[in-house]
Amino acid sequence: MTAGPPQENPKTEHLSDHGLLALVARGDTEAFARLYDQYSEAAYSLALRVVRDRELAADVVQEAFLAVWNQARTFDVRRGQPSTWILTVTHNKAVDTVRREQRRRTEPIVEGQEGTDPGPPADERAWLGMTRQRVRQALRQLPDPHREVLELAYFAGFSQSELAERLALPIGTVKSRTFAAMTALRAELGKAGVTLEDEWNTSTS
Amino acid sequence: MEHVDELIPAHALRSLDLADEQAVEAHLAVCDRCRRQLAEFEAVAATLAYAAPPAAPPPALRDSLLSAIQPVVEAPAVAARPERGSFWSRLALVSAPALAALVLALGIWNLSLRSDLDSTKEQLAAGSVVHLSGVGNVVWKDGQATLYADIGPAPAGKVYEAWVIRGGTPIAAGTFDGGGRTELQLDRAVAGGDTVAVTVEPAPGRDQPTGKPIAAGRL
Repeated sequence: MTAGPPQENPKTEHLSDHGLLALVARGDTEAFARLYDQYSEAAYSLALRVVRDRELAADVVQEAFLAVWNQARTFDVRRGQPSTWILTVTHNKAVDTVRREQRRRTEPIVEGQEGTDPGPPADERAWLGMTRQRVRQALRQLPDPHREVLELAYFAGFSQSELAERLALPIGTVKSRTFAAMTALRAELGKAGVTLEDEWNTSTS
Repeated sequence: MEHVDELIPAHALRSLDLADEQAVEAHLAVCDRCRRQLAEFEAVAATLAYAAPPAAPPPALRDSLLSAIQPVVEAPAVAARPERGSFWSRLALVSAPALAALVLALGIWNLSLRSDLDSTKEQLAAGSVVHLSGVGNVVWKDGQATLYADIGPAPAGKVYEAWVIRGGTPIAAGTFDGGGRTELQLDRAVAGGDTVAVTVEPAPGRDQPTGKPIAAGRL
């Protein structure tokens, strides 16, 4: 992201993520590079947060983007946005790694990490910064117990039964709290202006 | 049909315990409605990625990744025509993944980037490799294919069944129970252009698949 060739490419410049992914499905390496440039920072930040190790995080991102390259042809547009897919694949691989390595940590996700903005101003960076702000804003609106289960499940990789043990709660309570937390997060993301719908699917669904 | 609504948000967080996860996956394989729900909650879960402390990926990762995906040989032409018909006949049109992506194969997760191309060549010498997402890899050479699966145990009363699909017709090619690493030599000859798929079937397996594949890849 900080190095590498200029990002101007007349062929891919104005394509949507779906357009880029369709090109990737046909083996287009430039489109792949562009998707990487758009989402590698979000993916790497996620992977690093989960696995807590730069080398492992790089491995996770590498695996995830290779999976994107490998499986772009089977991507189903009904699954939603390509960015969701990329981050879901990254998250799955990061959680696999952390479960394998028993390396989970439990720092809070909201506090203390505002505003390190390394690169030069660019459209992508502005979008990334805005999304980060809005997601944090949405998370801040959640009651602490909701935020806690999301943190522990998503970033620390705890399963529902592990959460029950850690929080000393009945498994049924953990399950209903997880459900409630995700439902509340969805509502708060909507209020914070985070787009969850897919421009491709809104007209058909 | 019993839906799994209450478990879907936890599944999107990747937080279900194995038994629940398998039950949900089995249901998702046959339920469009719950798949749409999952897609919705996956989008919610994915936004949490943006709450992670910002960190820039190492620049070398980009270079290595881009050199790893340069095709080592020309990928086969893609059948671009969408075709109406059964899922199984459409599946035959799923194209082969680019050979360069073979670095994913064989469960070698921590390959150093620099050795990727060498490893790819070695794997090509051992046979061609196709990744079946969530299941494992198929290595095939001289008409013989072996499935290396690494997947949780099949639900009670069920088995995993491998299929060789040619011209839209699935041919049963062996069953296995999962629950760890499994090596299954497919008992059907394969050829380039065939698709290998895996479904979950009632034990001890069926002559024809009863549901959609949990994974498939074209040889």
